[in-house]
Amino acid sequence: MALFFTGIAAIVLGGLARVALSPRPRLASGAFALLVGTGCLVAALPAVHVLAGGTVAAARVSAAVPGGDWVFGVDPLSAFFLLVVLGVGAASALYGVRYLAAQASHGPVGVSHLLMALEIAALALVVTARSGVPFLMAWEIMAVLAYFLVVFESQHAEVRRAGLIYLVGTHTGTLALIALFASWGQRAGALSFDALAAASPALPVGGALVFALGLAGFGFKAGLVPLHFWLPGAHGAAPSHVSALMSGVVIKMGIYGLLRLVSLAGPPPVWWGWLVLGLGLASGVLGVLWALAQHDLKRLLAYHSVENIGIILLGLGIGALGARYDAPLVAVLGFAGAVLHTLNHALFKSLLFLGAGAVLRATGTRLMDRLGGLARRMPITWATFLIGSIAIVGLPPLNGFVSEWVVYQSLLRSAGIAPARAAVFAVAGLALIGALALACFAKAGGAVFLGQPRTTLAQEGGEVERGLLAPMVALALACIVIGVAPVVAVTPALHVAAAIGGVARGSADQAAAAVGPALQWISLTAIALAALVGAGWWLHERLLRRRPRAWAETWGCGYAHPEPRMQYTAASFAAPLIVAYGRAAGVHVTREPGAFHTHPKDHVLDGIALPLWTRMRTWALAARPIQQGRLWMYLLYLLGALLALLLYLALRAG
Amino acid sequence: MSRSALVGLALLLGVAPLLSGIAARTKARLTGRRGAPLLQLYWDLARLRRKGVVYSRTTTWVFRLAPIVLVATAALAACLVPLDGRRALVSFSGDFVAFAYLLALGRFFLVLAALDTGSSFEGMGASREVTVAAFAEPALFLAFIALVLATGSLSLGGALGAPLTQAWPTAVPALAMVTASLFLVLLAEGSRVPVDDPATHLELTMIHEVMVLDHSGPDFALILYGGALKLALFGALLVGAVVPRAGLAPGLGLAVLVLGLLGVAVLVGIVESVTARLRLSRVPQFLTAASALAALAVILLLVR
Repeated sequence: MALFFTGIAAIVLGGLARVALSPRPRLASGAFALLVGTGCLVAALPAVHVLAGGTVAAARVSAAVPGGDWVFGVDPLSAFFLLVVLGVGAASALYGVRYLAAQASHGPVGVSHLLMALEIAALALVVTARSGVPFLMAWEIMAVLAYFLVVFESQHAEVRRAGLIYLVGTHTGTLALIALFASWGQRAGALSFDALAAASPALPVGGALVFALGLAGFGFKAGLVPLHFWLPGAHGAAPSHVSALMSGVVIKMGIYGLLRLVSLAGPPPVWWGWLVLGLGLASGVLGVLWALAQHDLKRLLAYHSVENIGIILLGLGIGALGARYDAPLVAVLGFAGAVLHTLNHALFKSLLFLGAGAVLRATGTRLMDRLGGLARRMPITWATFLIGSIAIVGLPPLNGFVSEWVVYQSLLRSAGIAPARAAVFAVAGLALIGALALACFAKAGGAVFLGQPRTTLAQEGGEVERGLLAPMVALALACIVIGVAPVVAVTPALHVAAAIGGVARGSADQAAAAVGPALQWISLTAIALAALVGAGWWLHERLLRRRPRAWAETWGCGYAHPEPRMQYTAASFAAPLIVAYGRAAGVHVTREPGAFHTHPKDHVLDGIALPLWTRMRTWALAARPIQQGRLWMYLLYLLGALLALLLYLALRAG
Repeated sequence: MSRSALVGLALLLGVAPLLSGIAARTKARLTGRRGAPLLQLYWDLARLRRKGVVYSRTTTWVFRLAPIVLVATAALAACLVPLDGRRALVSFSGDFVAFAYLLALGRFFLVLAALDTGSSFEGMGASREVTVAAFAEPALFLAFIALVLATGSLSLGGALGAPLTQAWPTAVPALAMVTASLFLVLLAEGSRVPVDDPATHLELTMIHEVMVLDHSGPDFALILYGGALKLALFGALLVGAVVPRAGLAPGLGLAVLVLGLLGVAVLVGIVESVTARLRLSRVPQFLTAASALAALAVILLLVR
C-alpha cells in the first residue's frame, strides 16, 4: 500500500504545486501535469499487481474515532475501479491543463486544478477504504469537491442552479448511506468491512434494510432512473474535463458501492435482483429516449450516462439473481458484464465529453442546431468522436460491443435458471437501447460534425491544440484495443466478478472457458472488418483513380440554391422517434406555421423533485413560528421536552 | 471451416441481386405487366461500376467510406449464418448479437453519409431509417431469443442448424410465430412494402432510397448491392428457420437455400402487389406487432 499512498501524495502535491506556483503559469502547469501523471501511474501499480493475481497487504491506521481502525486495501474489485479512476482521472486532469488555460479570466483556474487533483485522490480512497468511517469521509469529500468543480463558471445562474440540485441529490444519497452503515454497524459492533461481512448472515429479513438503503444511497450517485434528476444539469454545466471525470468515474462510484455491498452482504434477496434489473431496463430505455430529445450536446451525453448505468445495472441485476439461485456462470458473467461496461463507459464517455469540450472551445456553443460541418475543421476531434460514438452504441469492432456482448451472454444464460428465466426478455430491452442509441449518436455526430455550418459560430471553429487532442487520442486508442483484443479486459473482469459473487472457486475459469472461443472470434471479426474495409477503400481509390471525379452541390431534387438553413436539424431528426414514444419521451412540442420546436423536460426533476421541494418549502415556512429567537421560548421547549420524557418514563414504568 | 459453407457464402453473394428482380417480376405479372428483366440489378451494377462519380462539395471521407462499410459488414454478417443448414463459417456463443450489430454498423455509416451531404431530403430519409430500425431491432432479437430457447443453442450456427430439426416437432406454434415475425422484420430491413417502397418516385415518401440520393457510380453500386445482400441475409435466416436442413446432403441443403431465397422473393413480390404502403406513423405499430408475435413465441417456449 506504500506505493499507492506515495502515488496519491504525488497527485495531491501536484494540485498544491499548481496553486503555489500560479504566478508562473507555465511552470505550474508543467509541475501539475508531471506530478499528477506520475502519481496516477505509481498508484496504479498495486492495482495492476492485484489484477495479475498478486496480493497487497492492507494498511491499518489507528484512529481515535468511533468505528474502529481505518483500513485501506486493494482487492480485485478495488483494483479494477482504481484503474478506471486513475486512467480516466489522468486523462481528464491533463486535458484540463490546456482547457482551462483559455478561461483564466472566468474563474479561479489554479484552485480548480487543485480540486481536480484532490477529487482523484478522494476517488482513489473511496475504492480502497475498507471500513465505514474512512469510506464515508472519502465519499463526502468526493461529493463536495465535485460540487465546487461543477460550479467553476458560477457567474451563470444556470450553473449555480445545476450545482445546487446536484448537492441536494448527492447529500440525500449520503444520508441513506449513513443509515446503511449505522444500522449494519450496530449489528456488527464495528464498522470495518470484515466485521460487516461477518455480521451479514445475522441481518434481519435477509438484509432487506441494508440492500434497500444501499440501492437508494448508491443509486443516487449512479444516477439510475428515477434518482438521476441531478445528473444532466450538473454534467452539462460543469467544465468539459470535469464532466468527463464525473460521467466517466464519479457516478461509477455508485456502481462500485453496489458491487461492494453485494460482496460484503452475500447474495442479495430475490426482489433486489429483479428490482435492479427493472431499474436497469428503465434507466437504459428512458435514458436514451430522453437523450434523443436534447438540443444541448453535453446534456445529451449526460443522459447517455443514465442509459449506460442502465446497461451496467442489467448485468448487476442478472448477476445478483444468478448468485441467489446458485448459477455461478450467470452470476460471474453478469457481474463481469457490469464491471467491464463500467470500464468501457468510463473510456468512451470521457472521450465524448472531451470531444464536446473541444467543440465548445472551438465554437463557443453546445447547441447542436447551431453547429454543423465541423468534420472539415476539426478532423481529429471528429475521428475520435466517431470512435467514441461507435463504441457507445455498442457496435463492433470497439469496446462497447464487447461489454454489451458479455451482458447479453448473462441475460441469455438466465434462461437456464427456472425461476429467473423471464429475465431473457431484458435481451429485447437491451436491443432497443442499442437501436435508440444508434439514432441518438447519428443525430449528435451528424448535426455537429457533418453537413454545412448552420451558423457563423460553426464557421469560425478550427481544430483545437495538441494538449487537448492527446488525451482524446489516448482514450480512443484504449477503446480500439479492448475492442480488438477483448481478452485483455474480459479475463480480469471475470476474476473480479468471481470475487464479488463469492461463488465457487474455479467459476471464473469456467466462465473464461465458456466465453474464450467467442472472444477469439470477436477479435477475428474486428480484424476482418478492418481488413475488408481497408481493402475496399484501396480498391475503391484504385478504381476511381483514372475516372473523372466531379464536385457539385448536394442534389436538392431540382432546387438549385441549397442553403445551410435548409438542412435537416437535430430536432427534426429525432422527431419521429420522439413522437412515436409520446409522453414517455418527455418532450413538449409546439407547432406554429413554419416552425416546429421541441422543449425537452425531465419527468422526475420537473414533475416530481421540484414540486416536492416547493411543497417542502411551504411546510418549512409553516413551521417557522417556533423559531422566534427569544431565549425564554427555547427554555420553554427544553422544559416541555423534559416533561414529555418524564411522562413517557412514568407511563412505561407504570 | 467446411467447403459447403464457403460455397454457400459464394452462392449468397452471387444470388443476392437476383432477389429484387424476382420480386419486381412477380409484382409486374400480378399487376398485368411484363416487367423488367430478372437480371436488371446485375446490369445496373455493371453499368454503375464503369461510371465516374459526382461528389457533393459538402461531403467528407465518411460519405465515401459508408458504402464500403455497408457491404463489408453485410458480408461479414453472412459468415455467421449457417447457409448450408449445418454450420456457419464463423460460429460462437452469442454470435447473433454480432450479426445484428454488424448490420447496425453498416446502417450507422449509411445514415452518417446521408447527414454528410447536408441535404434536407437525405436527413429526412436517415431519420426515418433509424426510426424503423429502432422498432425492428427488438423484434429481431425476440425472434433470436425464441430460437435460442427452442434449440438451447446460443449461436446462429446452432439455432438454425441441427438442433432446430428436433425443435420443430415440439414447438410448432412458437416457431411458426417466429417465422412470421422474421418475415415482417425482413420487409422492414429490406426496405419493402408496407414499410418502404423501392419503386416510389417521390422523394418525400421514401425512406431508404432518399437516404442515398447523392451517391453515384461505383459508390451507388455498392449501396445497391449492400441493400440486396441485406435482403438476402434476412431471407437466408427465414429459410434457415423454416426448413431445417441438417439432415440433407450439403449440396441439397444449398439447393434448398437458393430455392427458398427465390421463394422469399416471390412472397415479397406478392405482398407488394396485394398491400398498400403504410402511413409512416403506422410503421411503428406494424413492427410492434412483429415484436409482439415474437414475444408470444418466447412466452410459449418459456412456459412449456
